[in-house]
Amino acid sequence: MKVEAKTCHEQTHRPLFTWTRMWAVLVLAGLLGGLSLSGSSSAGELMAPPRVHTPPGAADSADEPLGPFPGVVAPEGTYEGKNVEQPIEFPHDLHADTNKINCLYCHTYARRSAVAGIPPTSKCMGCHNVIATDRPRIKKLTEYWEKGESPPWKKVHDLPDYVRFTHERHLKKFLFDNPDMSVERVDEVCALCHGNVKKMTVARKQKPLTMGFCTRCHEANDGPFDCQKCHK
Amino acid sequence: MSKIEFDRRDFLKVMGVSGVAATVAGCDMPSYITSEEGAEEVIPYLSPEEFVIPGVGVHYASTCLQCPATCGIRGRVREGRVLKLEGNPKSALNTGKLCQMGQAGLQTHYNPDRLTKPLVRKDGALAEATWEDALALIEEKTGPSSGLSGGRFAWLTGTISGHQSVLLKAHLESLGSSSHFVHEVINTRVWQAVCQDMLGQSMPRLRIDKAKMVLSFGADFLGTWMSPIHFSADYARFRSGEDRGMLVQAEPSMSLTGANADLWVALRPGTEGVMALGLANVLINKERMDASALPAAALELINQYGVSRTTKMTGIAGDRLIRIARHLKERSPSLVLAGASAAGHVGGYQSVQAAMLLNILLGNIDQTIEASGDFALPQLASVSGGTSDLSRFADAAGAGKLDAVFFDGSNPLFAAPNHLGLTEKFDSIPFKVAFSQFMDETTAHADVVLPMASALEDWGTHVAAYQGGDHEIAFQQPLMEPIYPGTRSFGDMLLALNSMRNPGSYDGLEDYYGYLQSAVGSIPGVLKGEDDEAINVSAWNRILQDGRLQMPVDTRAFTSNLSMDDMDVRDADPAFPYYLVPTPRGTLYDGRHANIPWLQESPDQISKVVWNSWAEIHPVTAAKLAVEEGDVITVTTPDGVLEVPVYIHKGIHVDVVAVPMGQGHEDYGRYARGRGVNPLKILQPGSDAKTGELALYGSRAALAATGRAGRLIKMGNTETQHGRKIVATITAEQQRRNEGDS
Ligand code: SF4
Repeated sequence: MKVEAKTCHEQTHRPLFTWTRMWAVLVLAGLLGGLSLSGSSSAGELMAPPRVHTPPGAADSADEPLGPFPGVVAPEGTYEGKNVEQPIEFPHDLHADTNKINCLYCHTYARRSAVAGIPPTSKCMGCHNVIATDRPRIKKLTEYWEKGESPPWKKVHDLPDYVRFTHERHLKKFLFDNPDMSVERVDEVCALCHGNVKKMTVARKQKPLTMGFCTRCHEANDGPFDCQKCHK
Repeated sequence: MSKIEFDRRDFLKVMGVSGVAATVAGCDMPSYITSEEGAEEVIPYLSPEEFVIPGVGVHYASTCLQCPATCGIRGRVREGRVLKLEGNPKSALNTGKLCQMGQAGLQTHYNPDRLTKPLVRKDGALAEATWEDALALIEEKTGPSSGLSGGRFAWLTGTISGHQSVLLKAHLESLGSSSHFVHEVINTRVWQAVCQDMLGQSMPRLRIDKAKMVLSFGADFLGTWMSPIHFSADYARFRSGEDRGMLVQAEPSMSLTGANADLWVALRPGTEGVMALGLANVLINKERMDASALPAAALELINQYGVSRTTKMTGIAGDRLIRIARHLKERSPSLVLAGASAAGHVGGYQSVQAAMLLNILLGNIDQTIEASGDFALPQLASVSGGTSDLSRFADAAGAGKLDAVFFDGSNPLFAAPNHLGLTEKFDSIPFKVAFSQFMDETTAHADVVLPMASALEDWGTHVAAYQGGDHEIAFQQPLMEPIYPGTRSFGDMLLALNSMRNPGSYDGLEDYYGYLQSAVGSIPGVLKGEDDEAINVSAWNRILQDGRLQMPVDTRAFTSNLSMDDMDVRDADPAFPYYLVPTPRGTLYDGRHANIPWLQESPDQISKVVWNSWAEIHPVTAAKLAVEEGDVITVTTPDGVLEVPVYIHKGIHVDVVAVPMGQGHEDYGRYARGRGVNPLKILQPGSDAKTGELALYGSRAALAATGRAGRLIKMGNTETQHGRKIVATITAEQQRRNEGDS
């Protein structure tokens, strides 16, 4: 096992572990507890392979289209979203891509409600009580948590108030009622409107989310066309 | 000069193309106003309850406090915000229905003119203060070391009940005072007094649904009278049964109930009792009804009101009177009601008494008027307000008998007629504390203003004066966190005031919620858990979920004490030939809802006017004055003048001018201030001799055109259907000719 010298935290994303690996590491770390390690010695860092951080907004693989999954004609249209500065620079890639956490694990309301919801801070802390607790961003998160506050996230995807969009209905059509899809592939459904978030750090708007975009998709995928379906 | 050739076809072509282009572009044009990235924050829950799903509403039960009827509500709450109110189906009173005033409770709660910080008068003006300073001042003036005691301290409130009433009484007792003035402009005090005197119970249950005919003397039971939502459901059953019930409404100007009647009778104000006695006379002498239930004195009185005398006094044609009497006899059981326009006269008590006498003659007692007994816990029962307390309060203040007054839930300075001179008398009270949500006329004259939580942010229990069958305690629980951290709960304030007088008396109770829980726990059998001491949490949660706690119904029967006094009908003063009728409406009510835009903009039930006052007059009166709709007239009484545009309508007695209550605020926030006129201000002195209630319907007025033309802003601009048969109608004459005299 190679022990990495610690570099600047701000510059480096370190992937988290999958649950199985985490326990393995914790046990290992316990066993190795007596060994003298150079630099800081959290279990996370012991195993962390280095990864070059992509600054948000730079051309990255987020723009790679996710291939249309079975049962959908993906709507055309792209949008060059701006970089939104968040209170904590949340790495979607680290969670959803590297660690393969399902989108619906955090955005759990998407299947039950009109809104996908930002996960409650208690959910973040469920993992980050033990994982990567010494990273600056996690420290910042913990600070909010201990103050009894949630980070004031900035909204990236928004629709005008006169539009009623429901995540629940769209997930039902493209995922749960779609015999050729499985819940593991939900990211492909999300990507229809959110772009390939898995490859982004903080989310950036990648699709125009205009009425034209919506109607093109509704036309191609037999969505409803009554005005009142969306403008209630 | 070059002229651009452009014919209509080209124009359409161009518009067609660019129109489509605009549409397409419009569809793909992101809205930078509402959907800009990063413009808004989205703050997740810290640690939500399991049942909370953002975007999905959760319903909580509570109680509507928009009028004294205390209907049950359910609020839809999403992301910590209450978004919509509906009726609570578990409430026996309103069984899931809610009126527009109830719906608009949201706009009282979210109103931008809410008070958010305590204010204390300094050098003549109200200035922001801290809660500590405000409470210290209250302690100095009314605490144990102030020396204040006895009747020199008073509370002035609106209708109050439940545990707030218990704590308020305890506070009065701690000061050795019994001065609790309960003020309510729209009330049923005279009706209650008559029922109490004649039947031995003040609030019998009224079974409109069981009646085959209802004769109502100005009881607007579908709009503002007693418990309108409860009666609306009863009324729907009354109308939809196999034998469709018949409604006859006799009143000076048409109310919402009047507009629904089969027969609407324009009655000269103050002659309701005469009409009732006239009907009794026809029933006994012409229809040969058994009158043995009536005492000799009453029979003697009835005999004095033969058809011709009744016709002369009331202005109702004799054959119409006889027809109504015949219907009453045939359609038994019937129900005779008497509302505000019958009670609001110098002889108001007698008029209501005559209506009740008619019920007795018709055998309606125990049929459509059922015994309801008293509320099982008298200390929680409703202390219903009236206007007699307003004049008693004015007298006490004028005589310098009050050193300190606390007021809540009432706006006496807006409602008091000029003749009471209340503003000056009020200002002469040395120390006045307002527990208010808004800067209304009364609050503006207070020395200390304490900003209160809204009804949707507060705890409370309420007991309706009129119980619809089951007797219930209605629970009020917060539907969301207070919007303004500077506001406080009224219950918490009552606890603080009591502790101020008797330190330690409520120790161990964290707040009003804690008090309520332990007080409800002390009601025998309600929250008993396995262990007698502990509060049964699941029973408590069930009460909160239902929003109601059912209590045993008192099964005491009526007693009867039939007396009858002669009518007191005053003659008109020739200088003031018209009667001024201040009409209550189920929108602005007594003026408390004038700061709610939803209610200001909802068209009046009769005139369809929005955001303004108007004077309703008969076409004959309009012709006399030579005015058209919208023209401004003056309405003059010996106590003042109003300038107001006219609305011309046949649903009003020719000698009446009706001006709705509610507008004419000098204060009360941006939506209410400086809009319309307040007819209550120019009412003449006079009160019902028996109950002391102000004769709100007994004022006389002179009308004159000002020559100024205007335009009423109203929904719909025509009174006719222009032959479109939207609602098919035939004239009464045709009906009688074709279908017989029914
Ligand atoms: S009648 Fe209307 S305003 Fe009054 S309590 Fe019921 S719902 Fe509320």
